[in-house]
Amino acid sequence: MPIVAFERLTKSYGQTPALQGVSFDVEQGEIFGLLGPNGAGKSTLMRILMDIIRPDEGRVLTFGHPRTRDDLDRLGYLPEERGLYTKLTVIDVMTYFGALKGLTRADARRRAVEWLEKIDLPQVVSWRIDRLSKGMSQKVQIAATLMSEPEVCIMDEPTTGLDPVNVRLVYDLLIERRKAGRTTMLSTHQMSQAEVLCDRVALIHRGRLMVYGGVDDVRRRHSRPEVRVRVRGALPAIPETANAVQGAGGEWRIPTEAGGEPADLLRSLIAAGTDVHSFEPLLAPMEDVFLRVVTEAGYEPLA
Amino acid sequence: MSRWRRTKTVATFEFLTTVKRRGYLIATFGMPIFIGLYAAVLGLPAYFMAKQASKPSIYGVVDPGGVLRLKEEAAAGSDQIPEELRRALETSGQQDTVARILGNTRSRFRPYASESEARSALVAQTIKGYFVLPPDYLQKGGVEAYGPDAGRLSNDGGRGAFENLLRQHLLAGRVDGTIAARILDPVSGTHRLAVTPKGEVVDGGGASTAVHIILPVAFMILFLLSVLMTSGFLLQGTATEKENKVVDVLLASANPDEVLSGKLLGLGAAGLLQVILWLSLLMVGGIGILPLLLSAHVEVPWTAALLALPLFIASFLFFGSLMMGSGSFGSNMREAQQLAMVWSLTAALPLMMTGPLIQDPHGVVARVLTWVPITSAAVVMLRASMDAAALAWWEAAGAFAVLVASTWLAIRIGARLFRIGLLNSGARPSFKEIIRQARL
Repeated sequence: MPIVAFERLTKSYGQTPALQGVSFDVEQGEIFGLLGPNGAGKSTLMRILMDIIRPDEGRVLTFGHPRTRDDLDRLGYLPEERGLYTKLTVIDVMTYFGALKGLTRADARRRAVEWLEKIDLPQVVSWRIDRLSKGMSQKVQIAATLMSEPEVCIMDEPTTGLDPVNVRLVYDLLIERRKAGRTTMLSTHQMSQAEVLCDRVALIHRGRLMVYGGVDDVRRRHSRPEVRVRVRGALPAIPETANAVQGAGGEWRIPTEAGGEPADLLRSLIAAGTDVHSFEPLLAPMEDVFLRVVTEAGYEPLA
Repeated sequence: MSRWRRTKTVATFEFLTTVKRRGYLIATFGMPIFIGLYAAVLGLPAYFMAKQASKPSIYGVVDPGGVLRLKEEAAAGSDQIPEELRRALETSGQQDTVARILGNTRSRFRPYASESEARSALVAQTIKGYFVLPPDYLQKGGVEAYGPDAGRLSNDGGRGAFENLLRQHLLAGRVDGTIAARILDPVSGTHRLAVTPKGEVVDGGGASTAVHIILPVAFMILFLLSVLMTSGFLLQGTATEKENKVVDVLLASANPDEVLSGKLLGLGAAGLLQVILWLSLLMVGGIGILPLLLSAHVEVPWTAALLALPLFIASFLFFGSLMMGSGSFGSNMREAQQLAMVWSLTAALPLMMTGPLIQDPHGVVARVLTWVPITSAAVVMLRASMDAAALAWWEAAGAFAVLVASTWLAIRIGARLFRIGLLNSGARPSFKEIIRQARL
């Protein structure tokens, strides 16, 4: 049973369509990447999931049933536009956000202190928000979102603006959630992040679902059939290597024929007496998948 | 988490955040201090004038005809009251009159043998003025009053005290004590009574009437003050949440009804606390007035007093939700206030109509306005206070029911507008777009 299911979601802002019949599922315990160019409809989808805006058509199911208001207590949300009460102290804001998610004030306060330590910011507990740097503020908001330990957490661009050390910290927090069986759905423009972190992805473009599936599966489906081979000496002059391109240090990239299996190519090379040092079927990076899909569909944001 | 718990969470947060705000603390504790200072500034000149007036003023008396027969300096109503008059008053049980007269002894009168002597004393400023009783005084009653050539508007130049002095000496030995007491003090006390439109005589009169008018008017003023001040906090909070982009986090945890209700309750409680503090200070400050009110047999309009709190709360929620709903379309505090101003003016409407309503509290206009939600609280208060018997129970209950239903509706509409307004961060949506989104 999917933990979140979107069914034929459609939403327009005036005459401008933002989502056009989008359907996909998110499974429990996975990190799910929501990809797409600016204005693709990702934030609209997340806001519909959190019941901030209503769809024109379609519905959202959470935990196996049509989402109710009470389900929101089990969902965490880090919006794209970060917001905190600038005149209040960090502890007061975190306590309030925790209490809104069903924690008692005492519990929320205790967890806020724990999470500030977890994100290496124990010193800011009594600081006013407007004293925090942008990065600190972002980390506080991430902690405020995660501290209620929501079963599903929706995060819109969680690492934007963070330095590599803090990006790593956020990755660790999300991986920790996955180990605990909790689900994270994150929107990102960083394709490398999707490759490293996500189990499955959905790519939305112009309000439509363009790509959906496991990361490796998606990369494989959208990869040119090609292998990277390192050999001693020259490549043998066999038909399979006719279009090979030489790289540095004895490395070759050999396109495999349509429908041809990399294993067949390896057998042909060995049969031709080639001393093969390494052989690696190549998967297209997510960035290539993204660019190809978006470019082929026409890159022009809708909203 | 239940709806109520979410509402309570928002309410608690708003209440605690508001009561810790510098602006709130300044308004709550600064206002009584400001009013105290203002009263002190106004009262100081009066205090000094009163202090000046409490010093004995000495006037000269030139009495060639021997009407007063003064041998030495005398005071009107002083211990130098003619002995035979004192005895007569005491014998007839008029000690109170003696005490009252004795209490008024600030003007003293010094005899002078001639007008020129008295004039020299005035020039030398040893006396404030002098009176000359001509020989035909008893026949004609004319008196010459002399004073310095620098007139004072508020001073009667000792004339009142001099008249008392004359009365005492003219009465002494001529009438009995009781008559003398009534001539000296014709009205020693007033017991006010009032006749109702039904012809019944009720105790109280003026003071009761004042209380019956003051209560609803105070209700209207405090209500308006509370709505205006609290709406300021409401709008400021909403505008800040839009500017700080906290809205999405808030709406991802609680629905607009819960957020709006929580804000109204939290900030309403902060507003109510402020009003209660002011009233408490007023009562502590004015505690001396209580015995006076009790001794004046004031009839307290209990029906109105009991209706005040529920009407106040329902009406506050009604206006607050509409103000917040429309104010949420503003992208900053100034815009929010402009958008909500129409409700501030509407809330002030009953206060503007106080005059005609007091003239005819149970007339057609008042009866119609009883059923209109924007005026019902104030009009029911006024009618219940002026004459509770003429306000039918079903009118009060019906008006309250209409107000509660309207408040419920206002919260629903306010919440829809609030959701649209909060999520709108760019150009203000058209009326058509608002209606479309409100239907979703």
